[in-house]
Amino acid sequence: MEQLRPPRPDSYLALALISTIVCCLPIGIVSIIYATKVNSLYADGYYDEANRASKNAKTWGLVSIGIGVLFFLGIFLIYGAIIMAALSNGNY
Amino acid sequence: MEITKFKLPIIIIGVLAFFGVLALYIYWSPSETNIFPKCPFYSVTGIYCPGCGSQRAAHQILNGHIFEGIRHNYLIGLLAIVLVYQALVFIINNVLNKRITNLLHKSKVASGILIVVILFWILRNINMFPFTELAP
Repeated sequence: MEQLRPPRPDSYLALALISTIVCCLPIGIVSIIYATKVNSLYADGYYDEANRASKNAKTWGLVSIGIGVLFFLGIFLIYGAIIMAALSNGNY
Repeated sequence: MEITKFKLPIIIIGVLAFFGVLALYIYWSPSETNIFPKCPFYSVTGIYCPGCGSQRAAHQILNGHIFEGIRHNYLIGLLAIVLVYQALVFIINNVLNKRITNLLHKSKVASGILIVVILFWILRNINMFPFTELAP
């Protein structure tokens, strides 16, 4: 039986935790939920479902980090533009 | 092979951007300047999210004030433990060629972390003494 087990899919738990903490959006929680599902599904022998949960955990973690990075960049571009405008007017 | 050609510049840009942002967090405190984005979830709902305070924490930790930093967001401590543990298990299994089981692969540990995060989220929003310590 042992040899029939397919390799364990990555649960992306660390990625999920990083996404929860880094980008202030609760989407990271969704990623953690999928990460916990990967482990329990794999332990119960539902390998296909575990693989799917693994993909979901990765996607949601990356989406969460992506939104955070975009938000961050957006704010920096806005402030950058404001500072540049102020500098070029000599009012800064 | 084709993919790695495209991936390399992205990785290099990502690493440079990461260190650039780290430098920003070393020199400017998020509680004193406005250049860092406020948490969008908190701005919209007025409720702290599990990630609130991580920017202030990053500033403090990068300046060596580890305990003041962790007090802004205790989840950073949990994240640090998880990352160090992952790295240790990876080193033991791949470099020393041992086979120790990764506790993070146990479903109970993973669900435990989920419960801790959600409890942390709820408790840090309670405006009473022992819980205010958890607020950012």
